Amino acid sequence: MANNIARLIWLFLMLLSFTWGCTESAPESTIRLGLAIAPTNLDPRLATDAPSARVNRLLYSRLVDFAEDATPIPALATWEALTPIHYRFHLTEPRPTFPNGAQLTAKDVQETYTSLLDPKTVSPHRGLFQNISRMHTLSESTIDFFLLHPDPLFPSYLVIGILPANLIEINHPFHENPVGSGPFLFHQRPDASRLILKRRKDAQLIEFVKVLNPTVRTLKLLAGEIHLLQNDLPPELVTYLAENPSISFQHKQGSKFAYIGFNHQDPIVGQNLVRKAIAHAINRGQIIQYALGGRAQLAQALFPPSHWVGASQLEGYPYDPARARELLHQAGFTSERSPTLIYKTSTDPFRLRLATIIQEQLQQVGIHMSIHSHDWGTFYGDIKAGHFQMYSLAWVGLKTPDIFRHAFHSESVPPLGVNRGRYTDPLTDDLIVEAEGTSQTNQQQRIYRSLQARLLDTLPYLPLWYEENVALSTTAIRGYTVRTDGNFDGLLDIQWTSSTTHPQLARQADP
Amino acid sequence: MSALVGLLGVVSLVFFLIHMIPGDPIDVMLGESALAADREALRQGLGLHLPLYEQWWNYLTALAQADFGHSLFSGRPIVDLLLERIPVTLHLSIIALMVAIIIALPLGLLAATRQHSMYDYGSMGFALFGMSIPNFWMGPLLILVGALWLGWFPVSGQEGWNAVVLPALTLGTAMAAILARMIRSSLLEVLGEDFLRTARAKGLSSLQAIFIHALPNALLPVLTLLGLQLGGLLGGAVITETVFAWPGLGLLIIEAIQQRDYPIVQAAVLCISVTYILVNLLTDLLYAWLDPRINWQSPL
Repeated sequence: MANNIARLIWLFLMLLSFTWGCTESAPESTIRLGLAIAPTNLDPRLATDAPSARVNRLLYSRLVDFAEDATPIPALATWEALTPIHYRFHLTEPRPTFPNGAQLTAKDVQETYTSLLDPKTVSPHRGLFQNISRMHTLSESTIDFFLLHPDPLFPSYLVIGILPANLIEINHPFHENPVGSGPFLFHQRPDASRLILKRRKDAQLIEFVKVLNPTVRTLKLLAGEIHLLQNDLPPELVTYLAENPSISFQHKQGSKFAYIGFNHQDPIVGQNLVRKAIAHAINRGQIIQYALGGRAQLAQALFPPSHWVGASQLEGYPYDPARARELLHQAGFTSERSPTLIYKTSTDPFRLRLATIIQEQLQQVGIHMSIHSHDWGTFYGDIKAGHFQMYSLAWVGLKTPDIFRHAFHSESVPPLGVNRGRYTDPLTDDLIVEAEGTSQTNQQQRIYRSLQARLLDTLPYLPLWYEENVALSTTAIRGYTVRTDGNFDGLLDIQWTSSTTHPQLARQADP
Repeated sequence: MSALVGLLGVVSLVFFLIHMIPGDPIDVMLGESALAADREALRQGLGLHLPLYEQWWNYLTALAQADFGHSLFSGRPIVDLLLERIPVTLHLSIIALMVAIIIALPLGLLAATRQHSMYDYGSMGFALFGMSIPNFWMGPLLILVGALWLGWFPVSGQEGWNAVVLPALTLGTAMAAILARMIRSSLLEVLGEDFLRTARAKGLSSLQAIFIHALPNALLPVLTLLGLQLGGLLGGAVITETVFAWPGLGLLIIEAIQQRDYPIVQAAVLCISVTYILVNLLTDLLYAWLDPRINWQSPL
């Protein structure tokens, strides 16, 4: 029997040797960025998740970009509105090149948008461009867009990365092998959790590493296995890292808008008095100070005051438990007949912690709230189907005011839009339509500000806060700056500090 | 035959359960801003518009032809995904099992041969400690010590030959605790047997008697436990793989469930079921191989 056991051990070791293998490491000089979620789709026509959109910005050039106040500004092209339904775009010189050296042309722009509008592509962004009736290429660097009806916001939609026309024609798999004219080139994807890009100007490799667990991401940063983290960390870990002398910390006001959504068809939260009572009962300032570590700004509207339609004059609902009780009383609730609500959220531990704080604060004014947390798919499905009384979510990367129609117009109930709370208000609908039909920016601004005041009064959402963007990096690197919308553009300038410069990089630079 | 019926039951149950839980893969793939027509086109393209029983029948028909289908998201053949992930999980499982045996064997041996001594209490105390520590806590603790303080191992990932050490230790210590207790009780039983007394009477030293006669006999019931443990590990050590960003089967299933990538979940669960059946079969065969008293002939 002892012999047989020895044979068994030998067999075991043989099996082990068959499975032994480790993935290839990127070169030492690679700068690594830790992510909670890996980019899933590197085709800008198909990508919907934030990490993919941020990486695609690095790989592809686009016609239009946004200024700090989210007004559209030229990226690849300048434009002029020849008529309200006719826009002409001029590609600016020098035009960027694709990896094969070919310059980006107006034909590439036309083919990109034509393929996006092709139902066979099944692009989630097709709806945004339904207003395009046709495109016409005038020269290598000029293209006309004709619209079905006027839309002053049209240029701000043209932020989709431009693909090379010759590869679109042969159905190149851009989602896994991206080819663009952006400042970075696709280098390698060793596995689903790792993506390596090469910076064109100096061949610096940047690796995106997915590490799901935030504590492990933090430990990897401290161990120097990754060099940069941006967002997606619980506030206590951010505070811990920020106090570490070997870590550089920067933060910037963000546009990630956190809110509580209400179901307007519900007999309790469907009453404006109850929603206002909830708004007065939640001490958002205290939550920001203690639970978010002070790294958020109070929100009164969907867009921050720095946005071109931002409404800085809105006053909001100060924390006032006495007023909350009074409003509940006016709504017919007493201490004997207090409202009982269900609050839905995801299983994210931090979101759950916030939910328990809100639960406690509502309890103080006599609102009993039970928390239902579900995995993302279930939670999202319930919200879309209107199976909720209250829920909390956040909007990320909002830029254009067309979101008002999408989220608050009475015709935008899912699946036609994201009016999940089934909010219907004729005045809101009128203001949205009025703003859309106005071509003057000043007028639009005024109407959108009135609209936001109306939304704050009727509370389809209770605005909570704008979460700040934070970046934490090891002292081995420098030059990274965190952006308002949390994009990765700072990677254009990130460098090793002088003591850790890798001289071979200069020789590998892309001409 | 019974294994086949079991498998059919498992794949059908998983198929209906994963389709019944709320959440739509089209939502995850296209977001909420997609046109209704595009959503419908994609739904039809993926065959998700068909009645559930029809989808189930199509799935079983494809499965009978060894066609696991494609991932709804990446479009990659599921066989490729499984072939990428299974060796990674197998590698971790085998090393974890080795770690468990290396820790458990001396502990169990010491506890059994020094029953009611400090060694016994110490070993079993360790076993209790190991069983009580959850992997989601043990993992970061080992990272803190092994990667951050000592700098001997990478924090996570699969890069480098030594990347497997910390996840294997995390899984191995928990298993070692159970194994050590099993070895102790099994060995205590064998130590009282007549054949061991005979061996000693024939002049073998205590150590020789234990290693040549007692231990091999005591290890037979331990083998059953090892088989079950290995089956569990091959099913994907979900928490450990998540903590250590170990790209194995467990992580694949978690991601697929979150994305409602039905074909991956179905194929991975089928894979786990088959693994359990195979490991159990292998354990039975090993039993017969190791112990000549066991044979497969039916009684007359």
